[in-house]
Amino acid sequence: MNAAITSSLRNCPEIVPRFVRRTSLSIATVSTDRDVRRTKVISGQFLRCGEQMSVGLCSAKTRAFAERKPTLQAITDTPILCDVGRHRMTSTRSSFRPCRIAFAGVLLICSALTLHAELQAADIYFKTDVVPILTKLGCNGGGCHGKATGQNGFQLSLFGFDPDQDYESLVRESRGRRLSPALPDRSLLLLKATARMPHGGGRRLEESSDDYQVLREWIAQGSPKPGTDDPQLVRLELSPEEQVLSKNETLQLTATAFFSNGTSRDVTKRAVYQSNDPSIASIENDGLVRTADQPGMVAVMARFGDQIATFHAAVPFVSDPVKRAVIEAQLRGIGFQSVSSISQNDGKLNDGNQSDRQDPCPTNTHLLNQWRQLGVVPSALADDATFLRRASIDICGTLPKPKEVTDFLADTGSDKRSRLIDRLLDRPEYASYFALKWADILQNRGAGYSTSQQRASTALFSGWIRDSLVANKPYDQFVSEIITASGSQYENPPAMWYRTVRKPSEYVESVAQAFLGVRVQCAQCHHHPTESWSQSDYFSFAANFARVGRKGGFADAEVPTDEIIFLNNRGETRHPRTSEILKPRPLGAAEFPLGPDDDPRISLARWMTSPDNPFFARTMANRMWAHFLGRGLVHPIDDARSTNPPSNPELLDTLARDFADSGFNVKFLIRSITLSHAYGLESTPHDGNAGDSQTFSRFYPRRLSAEVLLDGMSQVLEVPTEFGGVPAGTRAIELPDENVAAHFLDVFGRPARMSACECERVDAPALTQALELVNSVEIQRKLTAKTGYPQLLAESGKCDADLANEIFVRVLARQPRPDELKTATDYLTSEPDRAEACRTLLWSLLATNEFLFNH
Amino acid sequence: MSQIHRLTRRSLLQIGAPLMGLGLSDFLRLEARSAELGHSRSNKSLIVFWTDGGLSQQDTYDVKPDAPVEYRGMYQPIETSVPGVVLSEKLPCQARVMDRLSIVRSVHHENGIHAPSAHWMQTGYFGPTLARNAAQKPSFGSVIARSIGSRQPPMPAYVTIPKSEAFGYQGAVYLGKSYNPFEVGADPNDKEFKVPNLSLPEGLTAKSVDARRTLLATFDTLRRDIDDSGVMEGLDTFKKQALEMVAGDQMRTAFDLNSEEDSLRDRYGRHRYGQSALLARRLVEAGARCVNINTGNWDHHNDIAKGLEEHLPPLDCAIAALIEDLTTRGMLDDVIVYCVGEFGRTPRMNGHAGRDHWADCFSVMLAGGGIQGGRTVGASEKWGGGVHERRVTPLDLLATIYHALGVPLDTHYDDSSGRPTSIVGGGLPIRELI
Repeated sequence: MNAAITSSLRNCPEIVPRFVRRTSLSIATVSTDRDVRRTKVISGQFLRCGEQMSVGLCSAKTRAFAERKPTLQAITDTPILCDVGRHRMTSTRSSFRPCRIAFAGVLLICSALTLHAELQAADIYFKTDVVPILTKLGCNGGGCHGKATGQNGFQLSLFGFDPDQDYESLVRESRGRRLSPALPDRSLLLLKATARMPHGGGRRLEESSDDYQVLREWIAQGSPKPGTDDPQLVRLELSPEEQVLSKNETLQLTATAFFSNGTSRDVTKRAVYQSNDPSIASIENDGLVRTADQPGMVAVMARFGDQIATFHAAVPFVSDPVKRAVIEAQLRGIGFQSVSSISQNDGKLNDGNQSDRQDPCPTNTHLLNQWRQLGVVPSALADDATFLRRASIDICGTLPKPKEVTDFLADTGSDKRSRLIDRLLDRPEYASYFALKWADILQNRGAGYSTSQQRASTALFSGWIRDSLVANKPYDQFVSEIITASGSQYENPPAMWYRTVRKPSEYVESVAQAFLGVRVQCAQCHHHPTESWSQSDYFSFAANFARVGRKGGFADAEVPTDEIIFLNNRGETRHPRTSEILKPRPLGAAEFPLGPDDDPRISLARWMTSPDNPFFARTMANRMWAHFLGRGLVHPIDDARSTNPPSNPELLDTLARDFADSGFNVKFLIRSITLSHAYGLESTPHDGNAGDSQTFSRFYPRRLSAEVLLDGMSQVLEVPTEFGGVPAGTRAIELPDENVAAHFLDVFGRPARMSACECERVDAPALTQALELVNSVEIQRKLTAKTGYPQLLAESGKCDADLANEIFVRVLARQPRPDELKTATDYLTSEPDRAEACRTLLWSLLATNEFLFNH
Repeated sequence: MSQIHRLTRRSLLQIGAPLMGLGLSDFLRLEARSAELGHSRSNKSLIVFWTDGGLSQQDTYDVKPDAPVEYRGMYQPIETSVPGVVLSEKLPCQARVMDRLSIVRSVHHENGIHAPSAHWMQTGYFGPTLARNAAQKPSFGSVIARSIGSRQPPMPAYVTIPKSEAFGYQGAVYLGKSYNPFEVGADPNDKEFKVPNLSLPEGLTAKSVDARRTLLATFDTLRRDIDDSGVMEGLDTFKKQALEMVAGDQMRTAFDLNSEEDSLRDRYGRHRYGQSALLARRLVEAGARCVNINTGNWDHHNDIAKGLEEHLPPLDCAIAALIEDLTTRGMLDDVIVYCVGEFGRTPRMNGHAGRDHWADCFSVMLAGGGIQGGRTVGASEKWGGGVHERRVTPLDLLATIYHALGVPLDTHYDDSSGRPTSIVGGGLPIRELI
């Protein structure tokens, strides 16, 4: 049909020059009235003179078509919703006169085609007409008939993902009294839904509505069964797919469903919508997007049947063209000098291909493009002292020592930041700090141990992670060694991962969340409501682990320790509903060809770590971006789905591709991120980027994590924390597992390692944290220790000014400002007890936000 | 304060500095200060028994003695101190003080899943349907903390015992993290019960704390607008509060249950609910505005009799002892007691001798703080199920409580997009109770 229209367009000399390229054109029918009459909606997008223009055309009801001249609207920028019969018109802006004439011609061509479409669409199909109504009305939601036990004896599948079961429930169960073909209006289904009979869910449906008519018509037709030749829903499209919107604007989306028989239909009113950030744009039931006061990027999801589609909108900070021009000029002025050295690094991380690339830092190009699109001006570059502290904390989990500060400030080389990153990546603290992060993700849990003999195994695993990081083991190899691990957990430490990850659901969810960045939990019990994952995807993925066998091990802990992991001869996974045996299969790809002796885990690892795997490199790139920039490009970092798109897709693509191309070189990835323009920016906002929390136009500060904070205090005061059961002098970032008692770490958000989600680590402020800072025995002990720094400083005989300077550099990695110096020296003069003065001064700097935050 | 809250920060910025003779920063400081100091004339407080998981209304406050056994359940009705009002035999203690309690038997909302329902009952609004999603609205405890603050700072305005529950929806969300509850963090019935870090450690004197506070105030100058996550703002408030707390005895004394007579502690019951209720009374006396005791779990899908046998007697005893103790101390008119969960349970028992989730019609209990006692509001249908008369919404309940506490019902707060959002929406106070 579309082809026919296109050729008609070409044949019309008046039209062709104006519409250079057709980007999409679709014909859809919607039911509008009691007799299920049809309305034609024709919508298309055209490019004219390089400018995109969306156009919607509508006719009135078919029967009235001849006599009632349709109102045609052609509007630049915004697609329109047309006035058809009693339907409303949202837009009457008609700014493009020549089009109107042109479209009259198009419409005539289309009317014949749409009549044809109507004849085909007259039947009502259970799966694609009836079930979506039950979904839209909320009947099959998890709070009502969709829950596992149903509601008042009537059960539907959650969100309608099992139409055959729903048909049984509606038509056959309860002795068939739910539907009454002879008197459709007396059907229990309709009586309850319209609350003409008492209904716990209240009134869901109006008798005058289209939905009612469709349900009624289906019952009147004898409630035809879902058949195998029924048209299947193959695709859902939202139109437009993306658009730049202003603040406080509305936009009507059109949802079109495409069926296996080639037909398509407007399902705007039948689809279910959800916005991923209602503070930027909300979506109403009928597909009307409404932006708020907050600029940024937002995605709106539409669900119809088992298909989903997404609309992306950008709401610029500034839309006024004059101001935009000023911003353009400012953005052009941004130099990327500080990062130009990324491709000139030592050869050990950059292979030849990297330096051959034309653009030295593609990350920056993508950042800049986004700032330009949204009209954001980034903050200035951070000063050297701030950058040193920031990078030391983020790479090594460690504060810079006073000597490092003075050396770095004295360094005049133009590539000093780049050399700093290299130095930090070579330090053992880098490995310890990232080993802590991975131990959280890999759930190296110590809780439940009763003897120190068992501690050995978590210590072995965390040691193996640390060694892998020291050796800069390629990330693909690191992950493969974990998920394919076999043998004794003592002899092969990555097999320790199988200690806390034990059940099919744990295998699936841990692997998906940690390495593939997707949450598939929902699909264990039902089709994922915001993704295309089905139960069979979930259990086919679980089948990869069906032959994991265990033997041996101590059993006196919560979970056995030192088991031997091996490949069983048999083991299968069945679909929980159909009991069909499922073959091992990765997510979203074909099943593995496996011989009887092949370990499916090896195929899985190969699939995961292949450079073109759609999830693997992206997840790691995003995880590391979030570590350094405070927020993932996909946020939350382990919830990637088409309905939760990255805030800067090109940037994530580039990072992931380069990471895979580097041979999954983790230090290379860290280097690319820490040398990006975004990482070097100040955290202070200005007028041009206030309120930005998505585009990294400034550094987003965050509180130091529990371990880093405690270690920082120990370092400043030179009194290590005494942890029980580990060697003296062990730092918090080096602890073998989380089961080492430390009240400080618990109140500041140390995770219990119960899941693979980094979200377990929380930084929410609490009064208990403040009490710990102000009043804990631990901090008081560090302040008063005989061998501690405050005591030594007090005895050093230094003059007030030297002492104050030293304390500032030590705690905050910077010199005091004159007013701060005066306050400090005045205080030192006034307090006769020198040790007490040092303690008080140190404490009051340790309790500042400047110390508590990485900024 | 209501006048102040209706002005958003944004509108103030637009107006510019000289507003009512105050600079903007003075104004914001005043706003923060008065919330902190509880410059509300109200001297009312709230103690909540949150029944996490959903308490069965038909086995407690809304018995159906004439229904078939699968609806009626295991328990017989008993007379109470109010003629004509009956309760379940499992609530003998509350039956004794029924003249001071009121029961709303027609609470209704439209969701049957724990998390969104907990969001609904905690905030008044329907919440996220996917598990673990962030809250969208502030809990009533946080609204109370923000609007009328603590009665006697530095005692926190909002406390949860032993910690926050309700599926993560007892927090402040866009009100600001400093209005999150203070979590006690320990079981008050524990022999060793102690709230960490309330006493000065050895060697730290009040004078040192004072010096630290002064110096911190001068050095803590990092720009606050660099962090819009609310973490920094929250820590600021808490640091100040913690310094004030350790300087005085108020907190330590309030948390010291040992200073109560043994006989009174016995009356409350030597279990978590009883000692939590006693602690709540002490905290309220010391200035807390909303103390939330989390009880349960009440999610009894299987063998409900066993679950209720375990949890109901201590809850009943704790509530009644609290009411009696408040009466004795002359505090009942100033303290609202509220027993509520995310929903009730199905009127008909299921095949596992349990009851499932039910939000169509369930009961809550209210007492004290000016709420009329001895009344019942609304009614369920003959065998339970739907609302028979006087549907009460979650927002109606919040409006009733806010009204009784002296929180102005026209209070609005800016949500995360800057949109002023009403704390009660369309909710109206239950006039039969006030």
